[in-house]
Amino acid sequence: MKGRVLTSDVLLGIAPIALMIAVWQALISFGYAPATLLPPPGQVFMRLVRQLGNNEYQQDIAATLFRLFAGFAIAVVLGVGIGLAAAASPAVNAVVRPIVRVLAPLPKVALYPALLLLLGFGHESKITLVVADALFPILLSTYYGASMVEQKLIWSAMAAGTPPRQILFKVVLPAAMPSVLTGCRIGLVISCIVVFLAEMITSTDGLGHVLVTAARTFRAVDMFVPLITISLLGLILNGLLQWLRSYLLRGFPEV
Amino acid sequence: MIEISGVSQVFQTSGRQSHLALSNISLTIQDGAFVSILGPSGCGKSTLLYIVGGFVAPSQGTTRVKGKAITGPGPDRGPVFQEFALFPWKSVLGNVMYGPRQQGVSSAEAEAQSRQLIEMVGLKGFEHFYPKELSGGMKQRVALARTLAYHPAVLLMDEPFGALDAHTRTRLQNDLLNIWERDRKTVLFVTHSVEEAVFLSDKVVVMTRSPGRIKRIIDIDLPRPRRRAELLLDPHYQKYVVDIEGMIDDTSEDELHP
Amino acid sequence: MMSWRTLVSRLAPLLACLGLLGIWQIGALILDTDSFPTAIDALRAVPSILTDKESLINILASLRRMAIGFGVGVGLSIPLGLMMGRSRAVASFFNPLLMITYPVPKAALMPIIMLWLGVGDLAKTLVIFLGVSLPVVFHSFQGARAVEEKMLWSGAAMGLSAGQRMLRIVLPSALPEILIGCRTGLVLALITMITSEMIARQSGAGNILFNALDMGQYDTVFAMIIIVGAMGIGLDAAFEQLRKRLVRWSEPRFDLPLSFS
Ligand SMILES: Nc1ncnc2c1ncn2[C@@H]1O[C@H](COP(=O)(O)OP(=O)(O)O)[C@@H](O)[C@H]1O
Ligand SMILES: [Mg+2]
Repeated sequence: MKGRVLTSDVLLGIAPIALMIAVWQALISFGYAPATLLPPPGQVFMRLVRQLGNNEYQQDIAATLFRLFAGFAIAVVLGVGIGLAAAASPAVNAVVRPIVRVLAPLPKVALYPALLLLLGFGHESKITLVVADALFPILLSTYYGASMVEQKLIWSAMAAGTPPRQILFKVVLPAAMPSVLTGCRIGLVISCIVVFLAEMITSTDGLGHVLVTAARTFRAVDMFVPLITISLLGLILNGLLQWLRSYLLRGFPEV
Repeated sequence: MIEISGVSQVFQTSGRQSHLALSNISLTIQDGAFVSILGPSGCGKSTLLYIVGGFVAPSQGTTRVKGKAITGPGPDRGPVFQEFALFPWKSVLGNVMYGPRQQGVSSAEAEAQSRQLIEMVGLKGFEHFYPKELSGGMKQRVALARTLAYHPAVLLMDEPFGALDAHTRTRLQNDLLNIWERDRKTVLFVTHSVEEAVFLSDKVVVMTRSPGRIKRIIDIDLPRPRRRAELLLDPHYQKYVVDIEGMIDDTSEDELHP
Repeated sequence: MMSWRTLVSRLAPLLACLGLLGIWQIGALILDTDSFPTAIDALRAVPSILTDKESLINILASLRRMAIGFGVGVGLSIPLGLMMGRSRAVASFFNPLLMITYPVPKAALMPIIMLWLGVGDLAKTLVIFLGVSLPVVFHSFQGARAVEEKMLWSGAAMGLSAGQRMLRIVLPSALPEILIGCRTGLVLALITMITSEMIARQSGAGNILFNALDMGQYDTVFAMIIIVGAMGIGLDAAFEQLRKRLVRWSEPRFDLPLSFS
């Protein structure tokens, strides 16, 4: 019974994607769009498969992934650390809160030229941009989650003999985990987006660079391939995070 | 022995007014006594318990346990809250083992002790369940086992059975009495049920509506071990219940004021 | 009377701005390179950009595209998200599509959309619209899904039709969550606006920024960063005021620091 519901859900979900591809194909088949502007889906997917086996393209993927992971990891460490500290200490809170209020809504891509001038055109500037963008959702959710931790959970642990400085890691962090992971999920999507954009603006490798190179020479097929690749990467990473989430939160009530 | 002397508690409310929650409470609780605190909602029962727990510092007055001033929470005083406050990320076993592990007990030893406690509170077979998979009564049993696991000399129970249905409540009252008969911990038990207080306690402390003051302390002179079926028919028990209900009625007559 | 404390907490963001500018100033003085002007130099360059007619037209055109993209995006995304939240079929229809499009940077569609629509306003506005939509749909969906079933039952018992329930119960209950999505959408709109102009390189604030970078006018680069940053902070602050008005009833009181330190 449950299985049937699930299959029909999956079918429903595939429908719009199938429809999109069908319309795409129809636009070409009925001559509404010239293949130079909109290559047929079959051609794009063939190209994607070929590219995925291509060594050079794999290196571009690796470059993108490296920047993405490095930036995301730094953002997680900083975001969770600062978020916890701000929830735990009024002094840190008083300093962090106004700074975050100013920096969070700042469009970080606008900082990219400054980062380029300061850190050069290599990995550093791109990773820093990813950190700057992914940091705030993670920091804010961590802070929010940690501030909402049930006081009696903390009291229970203190009565059991937990020293105050361990409370943060033994109670507050695990109790705030659902919120932290929600922040990480948003941060991950943003990391995907930002690393790609940074590579489009200036780069010599990476998926964004592949797109820009294709755009300069008006090779429409090659413009679609990196976009589909980043979408797939996002999907896989999101799946991994989802899996981690269901493992870490196995004790928490569903939300 | 718990000594509470001259304790008052003032809260700053959001309207920048101050609210006197407890006024000049003095109370001595002997080792091994089962003492209940009764009073209308908002009279400061929980606050008093939190002060003894060391979670909240009183605005005035002193509290001592075994002659030592209370400066913070400690494993000599174990709380059991109405909201259970179990760690959702830990299994039943993990929750119960938490205290002993904090006390530096080895993992194997803590697990053996905890399994025994879980069996004692009637949850054998549920060791690897998560709190979300348990009913309210089962959760409260886990919370009790978690607290008992680090051997506190004093149990601080804040309406522990308040969120449970009548049937579960009765069963847990019996179980609590059995456990208490066995190792005679000092228990400070907050409740708003007169029957529950009389059934369980050696002493019932009746508090007035806010600001909370002690109105009366009644010694419950009923034989132990107590059997619920016998007690309900006992005229002494009935008289205690009726008398104490009268005192509470008295305090409830005036309107609520902030 | 405003106490000293509330005064400080009101002014804290301003103090933070000044503090950050101060760190910038000191950092620039220490590094002392041409490509990193001091905060004061950058601030000095701001008025000349804002008084230059062409730059001003460019910036205002950027803002107009952003406003249209944001408005249309929000207007379409909220109903879609709410319907997804209340209907399992609608949710399973759209969810996978949204999942695969979420990690795609919308501004990266610029080169392709430019092929089809040219480099004009339409392409840029479309990209902003796409960038805004996903977070708003996502949060509206979450908000609508979390609405208590019993509230809808009470509504039905009172004789509200399905449409009325959506408008009078689901929408207000989901509003706090929807507004969180709109706020994210606003920031994303600004990001997408800048990036699309960086990529199209034809007009707009992003174009001024990157042209200045290419021409080595570092004061202008940093002055533009200040302008764009101020836009982001100003828009966000304005939105936050609006949000506070709309959902005063649901303000969570989580500002108390935890008591264990
Ligand atoms: N943290 C607090 N801040 C302000 N007022 C509080 C706080 N905690 C309790 N109070 C007030 O103190 C009084 C006593 O509360 P409480 O001890 O919870 O009562 P009881 O447990 O008897 O119902 C109530 O009027 C309550 O509003
Ligand atoms: Mg209470």
